[in-house]
Parts: sequence; C-alpha cells; structure tokens
Amino acid sequence: RAAKMGTNIGGVEVLRVVLPGDEVLQLNADKADISIGPGLRWQENVICATRSGLLKKTSKNLYYVDTHQKRYIPNAKEFVIGIVIKKTGNNYIIDIGASDKATISELVFENSSKKARKELKPGDLIFGQILVANKNIEPELVCIDVFNNLVGIGSLPDGGIMFTLPLHIARLIVNPKNSLLLMIAQKIKFMLLVGFNGRVWVKAQKQKEMVTIMNCLMMLEVMTLEEAKENIYRLHTSNSKNF
Amino acid sequence: MAKHACQLNFLSRSDGSALYSIGNTVALASVNGPGEVKKSNRHYNRSHLEVCYSPSTGQSMIGERTLESVILHTVEQVILVHLHPRTATNVTIQEMQSDGLALSTSVNATCLALLDAGVQMKSPFAAVTCCLTPSGTIIIEPTEAELKESEALATFVFDGQALNVLSAHQEGCLDSENFYACLRKCQTAAKDVLNFYRRIMEEKYSSDKSYN
Repeated sequence: RAAKMGTNIGGVEVLRVVLPGDEVLQLNADKADISIGPGLRWQENVICATRSGLLKKTSKNLYYVDTHQKRYIPNAKEFVIGIVIKKTGNNYIIDIGASDKATISELVFENSSKKARKELKPGDLIFGQILVANKNIEPELVCIDVFNNLVGIGSLPDGGIMFTLPLHIARLIVNPKNSLLLMIAQKIKFMLLVGFNGRVWVKAQKQKEMVTIMNCLMMLEVMTLEEAKENIYRLHTSNSKNF
Repeated sequence: MAKHACQLNFLSRSDGSALYSIGNTVALASVNGPGEVKKSNRHYNRSHLEVCYSPSTGQSMIGERTLESVILHTVEQVILVHLHPRTATNVTIQEMQSDGLALSTSVNATCLALLDAGVQMKSPFAAVTCCLTPSGTIIIEPTEAELKESEALATFVFDGQALNVLSAHQEGCLDSENFYACLRKCQTAAKDVLNFYRRIMEEKYSSDKSYN
C-alpha cells in the first residue's frame, strides 16, 4: 500500500518526494495544458513545491503535492462535519476546525422555509458542503444546493461519536469500498460520516462497537493499511471480552 | 560532523512536531497553524508568527529572547505568510538537553516541525554552528567543552535553494578573514543537513515511523 515511486494507482501516478522550493516543472510552450493543484506555486515560468510531500500527477495532467497534515484549510465544494457554536441573526456560527469559523443560514436545510426554520442548539453536529472559501473571507456552509437538492445531511442524529483524524487518513476512508471498512463491516453494522476536515462520526448499535471502530481507524495514523487489517480482529475480540 | 537524529510527529496534539538532536544537544519543536489569532495580533494580509523557546532548566530570560528573535527572523523569510491572512502560526521549542548547540538544534528542529505540519514555505532552512579555536582551527558543530576553549563562535542559517544566508548570530571576536572562512565551511556543512531533511521526508512518506 505504501506508494512506491513511479507507481500508478487508479490513474494517479506517484512521482517522488518533494521538499518546499523543489522545482517540479519548467513551463515551455509545449506543456501548455497542465493544471497545478494544492502544494504547488507558479513563479516566473517555474513551478515549485510549497510543502513537503508526495508529488502526484493525475491522468488529466493535474500535478499536486499530497501532504500528511492535520490542520484543515477550507476549500469550496468539500464536505465537512461542523459543531454549532451559536446563532447570530439568521445564521449559525459553526466550528469546522479551520482558522475561521464558518457560517450557515438557517434556510439552507432540507424542508426549511421562512415559516419553518431549522432549529439547532449549540453543540449539535452538522454535515454540510462548503459553498465558498478562500483566504480572504469566512467560509460558508450549505446543506442544500442551488437546485434545492439535499447536500450533506444537515444535523446528525444523536447517539454517535465524533473524533478527529489526520487529513490524509480521512481521505483514505472516504472511499466506501476501502478494504479496512469492508473488513469492519463484516463484524459490525455501522454508519460512518467522514468530513474532509478530518472529523469522522460513527454510529453503531452498542457503545463498545463504536469505540472499536474508532480505535481501528485511529490505528491507521501509526500503521499501514495491511498492518491495521491484521490487528482489527484482535481489537474486536479484546473489546468484546471487556464489556 | 556530529550525528543528527530526528523523530517526526512526536506530539500527537500538535499540527507538526519534531524531536531533533545534533550530538548531545536535543530540542523538541512544535508547530501549530495557521490557526486562530487574538484580535490584537490580526494582520489583514498575512499570518502572525510567534516563536516561544523554553530552556531545560530555569526561567525563560533575555538569552532565550535572543534565540527566539533569531528563529523568528529566519522563519519570517521562508514561510509564505501572505497565503493565510488573519491567522497565527505558533512555533514552540523546548530545550531537552544542551551541549552547546542550542541555537542550531532549535532552528533545525523548527524546520523539521514546519515540514511535518505542512506549513507552506519557500524552502527549508538549515543552521550550522562553528567555533574558532585559539590556534585558528574552525570546528563545525563543537561540543560544550570545545566551545569553552574557543575564541569565537558563529551560527549561520542557510536557505535550501541557493544556500544564501537567512540569518547569522555571532559571539566573540572574528576578523573578516576568519568570518568568511567560517561562512564557507558552514555553507558546505549545510548541504549535509539539507540532505538529512530530504532523507527524513522520504522515510516519512514511505510509511516508516521512527528515524535515525
């Protein structure tokens, strides 16, 4: 599972490890249709890395640096789990784990209108999509898009637990066909919500099952996917014995 | 040159951290950011940088403020602060053990912690300390005992691309000929430090967790 240089996984090619300031590409006329993604900066005909990480290239000529980091920087169109802080006027202020708090209008929820507004208490969890985010403004969340289709699921039901993982681990488990998740699903029935801000919410029937799933996912921080798969049976049986 | 060793992501709650040693001098650096900032420190167009250095024994006093100011001056020049307006990035350094190389160990630990946290930078930076003995020899990365016998010491911090000097700190008496000789020797030694960073990062991304 460890990305070896030059491998191609699902159309994304891993090039090499880069440090900030490393030159990635020289721009000439024949390389006109290249896109650059996070972690790269274009300066005077040279593209340099701004973070340390794995330089990757997708099949559509998009270059980016995949960094293992914990701090979330909001980007538009990403799904995040937020905690309601307070209500000001017609908006709720939400903590999404970034440097700025996000706002969400009480009207952008499913079945919410001026007569029947959405009521949220401080401490509630919501899962929504970031509408706008850039370095100069506060991010804004929505739970419904411009066509009034449901986006995210609004406020989360009671009884689950939320924890935080590093961003690159969250990106791994966003894929529902991830082999570790499938292995856990063979033993436990659960509902999982993954936010791009590293926050993960899990709900299962029993408390000990939720704690087991949380520990399984947190193991990915310190071991590879294969090692984690070997350990989950041990974790599940030890948890079942204790309760 | 003394032995360099490092362990990244040493602290689970920091955005980035590094436990780093040169010989017997050990420093732990922790980076958090870009994150929330007090209203008094908010800048409309950049991130606010703060460095806090704690010595291993005793209270933090004027000597520690000097170290903080050298590190802050270095870090100001490499972090891309304009990408994160109205935020703050904090660097905290705890001195674990000191064998005379507190400044260069702290600077290098800071660089590794910034690389671990994924803070956007122009390039990594490497600090090298050297001292001048009474007989005119220049020793790179001296021990505390060698420093006691020396006439002068100099620490230079170089950037990772062109090896330009980002900051310099000097104690004692150095004439210009010796100063340039020290600078050149430190510049050559800095390449080894930068190669060490590259090796550490390559190990981090090959899913290996502790380094030496």
